[in-house]
Amino acid sequence: MRRAGVWAWLLFGLGMIYFFLPLIASFLFSLRKLQDRLSFEAYRLVFSDPGFAYSFGSSLRWAAFTIVISLLLVVPTVYWVHLRAPRFRPIVEFITLMPFVVPAVVLAFGLIRAYARPPLMLTSSPAILVGAYVVLSLPYMFRAVDNGLRAIDVRTLTEAAQSLGAGWVTVLWRVIFPNLRVALLSGMFLTFAIVVGEYTFAALLAWPAFGPYVVLTFQSKAYEAVALSTLSFGLTWASIGVIQWLGRGGPGQAQVAGAR
Amino acid sequence: MLNRRLTRRDFLKFSAAAGGSALLAACGGGAAGPAACAAPTGADTIALEELTRCAGIEGTLTTIALPHDWANYGEIISTFRSTYNLAVNELDPYAGSSDELEAIKANQGSTGPQAPDVVDIGVGHTARAIDEGLLATYKVATWDTIPLKNDDGYWWAEYYGVLSFEANLDLVDNVPEDWEDLLDPQYAGMVAMAGDPSSSNEAINTVLAAGLSRTNNDWATAPQAGLEFWKEMVESGNFNPVTVVAGTLASGETPIGIQWDYLAIANNDTLAGNPELAIVVPHTGVIAGPYAGGISAYAPHPYAARLWWEFVMSDQGQLLYLKGYAHPIRFNDLAARGLIDQFLVDFPDVAAKLPPAEAYEVAIFPTVEQLVAAREHISTNWRSFVFGE
Amino acid sequence: MGRSSSDRIEKGDAPSARPPRPGISWVWVPLLPFFLFAIAFLLVPSISIVYRSFQGPQGQFTFGNFVELFQRSDLIRAYRNSLSISFITAIAGGVFGFLLVYAVILGGLPRGLRVFLMTFSGVASNFAGVPLAFAFISTLGRVGLLTSLLSSVLGFDLYRSGFSIYNIWGLSLVYMYFQFPLMVLVMAPALDGLRREWREASQILGATGPAYWRYVALPVLLPSILGAMILLFGNSFGAYATAYAFTGSNLSLVTIAISAQIRGDVLYNPGLGNALAFGMVIVMGVTMLGYSYMQRKASRWLR
Repeated sequence: MRRAGVWAWLLFGLGMIYFFLPLIASFLFSLRKLQDRLSFEAYRLVFSDPGFAYSFGSSLRWAAFTIVISLLLVVPTVYWVHLRAPRFRPIVEFITLMPFVVPAVVLAFGLIRAYARPPLMLTSSPAILVGAYVVLSLPYMFRAVDNGLRAIDVRTLTEAAQSLGAGWVTVLWRVIFPNLRVALLSGMFLTFAIVVGEYTFAALLAWPAFGPYVVLTFQSKAYEAVALSTLSFGLTWASIGVIQWLGRGGPGQAQVAGAR
Repeated sequence: MLNRRLTRRDFLKFSAAAGGSALLAACGGGAAGPAACAAPTGADTIALEELTRCAGIEGTLTTIALPHDWANYGEIISTFRSTYNLAVNELDPYAGSSDELEAIKANQGSTGPQAPDVVDIGVGHTARAIDEGLLATYKVATWDTIPLKNDDGYWWAEYYGVLSFEANLDLVDNVPEDWEDLLDPQYAGMVAMAGDPSSSNEAINTVLAAGLSRTNNDWATAPQAGLEFWKEMVESGNFNPVTVVAGTLASGETPIGIQWDYLAIANNDTLAGNPELAIVVPHTGVIAGPYAGGISAYAPHPYAARLWWEFVMSDQGQLLYLKGYAHPIRFNDLAARGLIDQFLVDFPDVAAKLPPAEAYEVAIFPTVEQLVAAREHISTNWRSFVFGE
Repeated sequence: MGRSSSDRIEKGDAPSARPPRPGISWVWVPLLPFFLFAIAFLLVPSISIVYRSFQGPQGQFTFGNFVELFQRSDLIRAYRNSLSISFITAIAGGVFGFLLVYAVILGGLPRGLRVFLMTFSGVASNFAGVPLAFAFISTLGRVGLLTSLLSSVLGFDLYRSGFSIYNIWGLSLVYMYFQFPLMVLVMAPALDGLRREWREASQILGATGPAYWRYVALPVLLPSILGAMILLFGNSFGAYATAYAFTGSNLSLVTIAISAQIRGDVLYNPGLGNALAFGMVIVMGVTMLGYSYMQRKASRWLR
């Protein structure tokens, strides 16, 4: 392994300055709730607001459902594309890029219009919100699964499992998923970050979530709002760190922990 | 991680979605018990006893767009909840007027918890709401004393505020007293609005109020005069493009903001002197921004909805608005009966924060038509006239 | 797996256990749940954009919305602003993001920094909206931390020198906060795919560092880089919340204009809003096609 050059450290250092300066500025502002001295009063107020736990808990719930459904939807699909249906790859990939093409505001309204009436009455159920979130997570899940499958020999694994008598479900569940575990992590934690930070869909579809709660706090409070956003950054980062730590080790392309 | 049994892959999506919906779907408020009252028809006032009884059977009220810090809605909701022993299901507090109407439309076919019963929208949205058949009619017991309302009973004003200047006293030595003062060079880069005139009701009213100040309340020429005023603000460099919120006032980024008085005073409260804000209602161009209440035509709990309005439009409910620094629409009626004076005695801290009563005597209430016409003019010409785009 | 893709592309990785059967191919059937989901949650709502953009205020069919779109200078300006910011952030974000991820993965930095950067990028790529806007206002606003430091320590008045965070360049600087991380996350797998053997082989053949880059690494990476930049472009074009919090009344962007028409508190012209959105979809559709093309070229080398 090469010794790190000056340039590498310089670039990294510049990047860190850019990323952390705004965070530090926010943090310092949040400490100024009490006049003339620095304190964590704003943070205490954030924690004592029941809306915080309620909205963050709601978003955690949506994130969990989104991750599960997204995995169940994307992994078998991409697996099949790799194994048997490579011709469908361009269209599958294009679909996963759609969230970048259609703005969230318009998609939300489209969903409301389409599913406000029986027989496809979805607007009264959180399925519509989770569905929207799954759509948002598609680009990241697809990339993660795609990269992961590239790194393992799909054909051989499938053949071997099938020659031992495994059906498709067993192949997926007990052979493919475990081998993809590390690669799936990056998709999962990006999905988590997206759902927790998301505002537009939650607001328009009127479900409790962390995003609208943060925005609302900024409308009516000063120091507490900045404390809240600093806190949410930290919490999301910590959650991602936990997911990353839990999934460490194991075969499959290491998305995060470095192949070199 | 995943510990469920997988069914056939073909049905994964359906079972996951169905299972998810089943797990997630919250139960509606109504319990099996006494038979629900027949749905109310017509706009006639219903007696309080009957309302209370039928609402009790319904058990829940679903509200939307009522932030707790806005005009004391927190206390209004909790008082309603404890007085009538009903659950209140609060949907998205951050929804705008347009979102509220969307929520009604989106849940037309459902009586689930996502369907709002009552709405609190800007007066400018009432025309659209009626056109699209989103509101039901009802006349509360205090109907005759409400000065601003729809004669058929589709909507009625609940409260209003006037635009005021809020100045960060750490950074502003001379607090501006009127619109023309804002053009003074000492306020370079200081004056900010509450949003973009093409999407924020508060911002549109800010432009309009400046225009009314200049044209001495002439509605025909006020919109254009307002645009001219703000053009001068931009050219003189006094205009600050940041959307003003409590945070930007506190950090010093927007030393002077222009917001509804009840929001400005609430900002001052939350900042708790860090920094201290001065709140001034300008001498001229005092525009009242009333909010209209209505009942959804598809309300799942029609009696609870009507009960809510009986409460909010009653003396008690109206005074709760005043506690949140918003002027109840029935202010004059309450004042004539001495209730305002009594309130000011009972709550001296609120009394101290409210701007002087004289400031409100020159407040102008726009009609729906005037407001819509003004908005049209300002929003289409804002960027091209003021910024020359 | 150095198999060239061209001769196996039709059958994928599956073994040909039996000769291909004539008749209908059922290979797409297991993809059905995914396609149905896409139809339900993507296609159906998106179609509403198209037909609503041709609807007038009374619901009648009209081209009026598009006519208005092309006539209104402020709306054209909104597109120009959005496109400008998207180009700037795609290129600058792409270049610096690439350098950053290169430094961490191939620059010989300690391995822990890679984990750090990846997890941080996961969070930062979604840190947007009012919190991000306020963070930058607190840093580079008129009374921001850095602005104050520069004036008190170096005597340099940032805003008097013409800098402002409230114009296109300032907003682009803010957008970098989620563009850099996105570039990092997207390029990391591609850099992993740059095999060490190629570097070693080129060194054996006498190539210097820059030559290696010019003849081996960059050509291999270029489709991925360009593809990632296009993704950054799309990400920036569709951003809304950050810009509104920042310069709500100063800078018009397409997403803000759409929102103002569809869910604003002032205007309500869903036909126009959807026409604007349709314009966005066209712009984005074209860029996405470009991205797909780049990706296909890139995937040659990642097998």
